[in-house]
Amino acid sequence: MSADAIRLMERYVDGDATAFRALYALLAPKLLGYLSKMTRERAVADDLLQQTFLKVHRAREAWVRGADPTPWIYAIAHRTFLDEARRKQRAVVGVAKGDDLPEVKADLDGTAEGAAEPVPDLERTRAAMAALESLPPQQREAVVLTKLDGKSIAEAAAIAGTTPGAMKVRAHRGYVALRKALGASDEAAGPSASSDDGGKP
Amino acid sequence: MSAPRDYELDELLRDAPLPDPPPLGDLLERELASLGPATPRNPRRDAGLVIGVSLVYAAALLAVLRLRRDLDGLPVGWMIAYSAAWFAGFASLAWIAIVPAPGAMMPRWRMAGVGAAIAATMFIAGGMLLHESTPLSVSYGLANLHRGHWCLEIGVATAIVPATVGALVLRGVLPVGSRWAAAGLGAAGGSLGGLVLHLHCPIADGWHLGIVHGGVVAVSALIAALLAPRRMSP
Repeated sequence: MSADAIRLMERYVDGDATAFRALYALLAPKLLGYLSKMTRERAVADDLLQQTFLKVHRAREAWVRGADPTPWIYAIAHRTFLDEARRKQRAVVGVAKGDDLPEVKADLDGTAEGAAEPVPDLERTRAAMAALESLPPQQREAVVLTKLDGKSIAEAAAIAGTTPGAMKVRAHRGYVALRKALGASDEAAGPSASSDDGGKP
Repeated sequence: MSAPRDYELDELLRDAPLPDPPPLGDLLERELASLGPATPRNPRRDAGLVIGVSLVYAAALLAVLRLRRDLDGLPVGWMIAYSAAWFAGFASLAWIAIVPAPGAMMPRWRMAGVGAAIAATMFIAGGMLLHESTPLSVSYGLANLHRGHWCLEIGVATAIVPATVGALVLRGVLPVGSRWAAAGLGAAGGSLGGLVLHLHCPIADGWHLGIVHGGVVAVSALIAALLAPRRMSP
């Protein structure tokens, strides 16, 4: 992705608007996923995504030839989210509604469209997303950046403006909390199915 | 089911479908319609500009203020070593605050902030411990530390140019860490102010050199960290 982003940024800065659209198509889904997880409200995330790319556009001269713009764009999204949260004087918007996972089109027999490969456990994924949204913002951001978006600890720390050590701790705590929450929700859904009660009466 | 193992959770999160982004907004579309080529940042050239302009300004300031009157009697090695330390503080902090690591876009803002703290500490301690004097030097002693306000003003006035030009070349560059980078630029300017004071001020008390001349680095870093970041964030 970074080589593509560099190439597109190069063309965009040289005045090619189609390169900007391609850059948007390349980065916007992940950025929107990140912003959706952070705001927990899709409409707000959409708006912040537009603001992020508007800032990118207006500050495009800040780019350095040959440099990957992705961490910078993520950092702008992070800053835009923080500014919005501060403006509204609330870091967390709304409660998890589970409406930020796009619907997967299904065939008539109920299987997901294009599901030749093993279908992911959508219910469990939804539960994971809901559990993710219950995490404190910093832990949520750490898990989203390192697990969903595949950033390294160092990249995630640079995006969030913190130290790699702090990011590692946040990601670890977030992961532990997420596992705990998922285990609890699984047990609440079907305690008899639990496999780790190891012969408890 | 039990709590998922790490690899199961990795898979769950990795499998989460990405949302479809909305089309570009009207405002962005309008701005794209008039898109023209832009000149990307050249960090090395920017750092050279900041360092060059700042040195010219400092030299002009020193020409107006005049060199210290006890200069001839001071040990040459001490004068050169101390001047080199001030200059190294200025140039290295400006470089770190402006030039990113290879392949990166944002400068090493954390290193710049930490460097500012280290430079301020070292120049304050160095001034208090490593001072020299001649019969022409002025000695006020601790009781007259307040006389340092003039030196503080000269030092901060020197720091204005590197901090301002640095903030201008970094505008739009730092969505995060701008306060740290600004502190680095302020400390760089403060170090240049310390160099000007080192060549101008004949007061030879350790307290004055440490608290006032060294303190210029800390004060300039704090002022820059408070005022500059707004310009540097996109």
